[in-house]
Amino acid sequence: MTTRLMLRLVDEVGATHAGGTVRIPVDAAADVDVIERWCAATGNEVLTVLPDAVEVHRGRIVDPVASLPEDRRPGYRLWIYTNFHCNLACDYCCVESSPKARPRVIPVDEFAAIVAEASAAGVRELFLTGGEPFMLVDLDERLRIASQALPTTVLTNAMVWKGERLRRLEALPREGLTLQISLDSATPDLHDRHRGTGSFARALAGIRTAIDLGFEVRVAATLGNDAGDAERELLDFFDDLGLDAHQRVVRRVAQQGSANAGLTVSRTSLIPEVCITADGVFWHPVAAIDPAMKVADEWSPLAGVIDAATQEYRDYRVKGDVLASSFPCA
Amino acid sequence: MTQTPIVVGAVAYTANVVPIWEGIKEYFAESPTPIDFVLYSNYERQVDALLAGHVDLAWNTNVAWVRTQRQSGGHAVALATRDTDLVFKTLMIGRAGSGLDGLASLTGKRVALGSRDSGQARILPLHFLAREGISTDDIELVIFDSDVGKHGDTGRSDLDAIRAVLDEEADVAAVGINTWQNLNAAGDDTMSDLEVVWESEPYNHCNFTALDSFDPERAEAWVATLLAMDWENPSHRRILELEGLRKWERAELTGYQSLIQAMDEQAISDHW
Repeated sequence: MTTRLMLRLVDEVGATHAGGTVRIPVDAAADVDVIERWCAATGNEVLTVLPDAVEVHRGRIVDPVASLPEDRRPGYRLWIYTNFHCNLACDYCCVESSPKARPRVIPVDEFAAIVAEASAAGVRELFLTGGEPFMLVDLDERLRIASQALPTTVLTNAMVWKGERLRRLEALPREGLTLQISLDSATPDLHDRHRGTGSFARALAGIRTAIDLGFEVRVAATLGNDAGDAERELLDFFDDLGLDAHQRVVRRVAQQGSANAGLTVSRTSLIPEVCITADGVFWHPVAAIDPAMKVADEWSPLAGVIDAATQEYRDYRVKGDVLASSFPCA
Repeated sequence: MTQTPIVVGAVAYTANVVPIWEGIKEYFAESPTPIDFVLYSNYERQVDALLAGHVDLAWNTNVAWVRTQRQSGGHAVALATRDTDLVFKTLMIGRAGSGLDGLASLTGKRVALGSRDSGQARILPLHFLAREGISTDDIELVIFDSDVGKHGDTGRSDLDAIRAVLDEEADVAAVGINTWQNLNAAGDDTMSDLEVVWESEPYNHCNFTALDSFDPERAEAWVATLLAMDWENPSHRRILELEGLRKWERAELTGYQSLIQAMDEQAISDHW
């Protein structure tokens, strides 16, 4: 009989604080159905159905995805690793790119298919990275396809714009395209220590080339534990370059790829920013060769891949909040 | 210029009073009448605080409203109420198939009642029985005086009374309609061991009470903001569900007459 089950539900769930959980023992599947119906009607939610009990969440679960700023929600950005080879071999590279790295290029026709599905799936921004994307002489074709569909940012070290590559750069559309150029310090020491001798001067020259050509430019620094005062000096340097707040990014080295130290990252510590590579789809671009961060072998159907990552994020956040509220320390 | 918040008193009858009032405070934060809130452990302290000017508004039960009105010499004003407070009822719940039907059938029966300061589970049931000509000498009272000071808000005594019926310790239980609706929220088939033996006419329950010295323009602006809470808005709905309503309404007073009469009949003190 369900009468006592209802009494227990009303009694125990009613006495539980919002966000807390109650485990209600059940005898049969019919009990689970009753609890689900009761929760739906009273603004509570079934969290987990166990063989002999149902965990009820007091009050409605606040959707952690809806709580994020729109531009941080999974699926807003799509990252594409156009390739993995690079003219540099930075010691903190999160995907172990170098001149010797296997290129793993996404061909133009496949790239176009990704962009088309991304638009249909509601993606709002594209980010192209590598490797050094401009190692691909025909990168301009991909950039045209991408920027005609969605606002597009391409990450680059700005060091390979010579000859044919420079001519193709000059011919690129300015509308809908941002060049995000890596620069780790205001002076050569720190930058060159991690990215190679002479790379600071060439990156700086590349920034000036891009600005002179009328591109929207953003400068991005990656700082390790040895950065010291570099961040403050770098911000002053960004001011000197005339870069606004939206034209600068400072992030920390992640312990991924070539980096022996840095922030540890995992699926539960990062909001997913779905990232497509030639080797599959990953949770986030900072961990695009980490098998633990792989979310799918195939990128299509992209909407389904994004939905799955979004749901996984939602699930662990909800369960994490419940666990956090179950183990107060004071 | 930053507005001085309107201070609202509420009684901490469950752990959810905090998220409810944090949510309401957040909702009012951007309005012309931001609020802060103070929690009391019982309605008597809250009535004292309103009369002493420690709070501007008090979220009162019907019993607390009557006491505020009487202690203030009629200077209390009811501003707003839940939709559910305008149609509150007391139900007598008995075992299905017991043959009990209406108050008259309860003569000689065991009647489980809730806390002595609960309008719905004790004061009004006794009033309705007396109106039917049934005194406490004509029935056997089974009393659950739990959570005194909360005026029955916890629902604790309602559930205890219903369990007494199931455990054959009482023939009927007097409960608030909100408890019965909650128990039946999954469908009418889930409480089939029990049935409604009698149902009272509607009466009023909680309201936001102010004193008539409270600035009427501020009061009106505050009520207008309160009434704009929207069930279809998920962040509002979360609060509304926890507080047990779909819509805030302007208060009206005729539905308090039965309780005023009951408190007079039972010589219930204006102070506890």
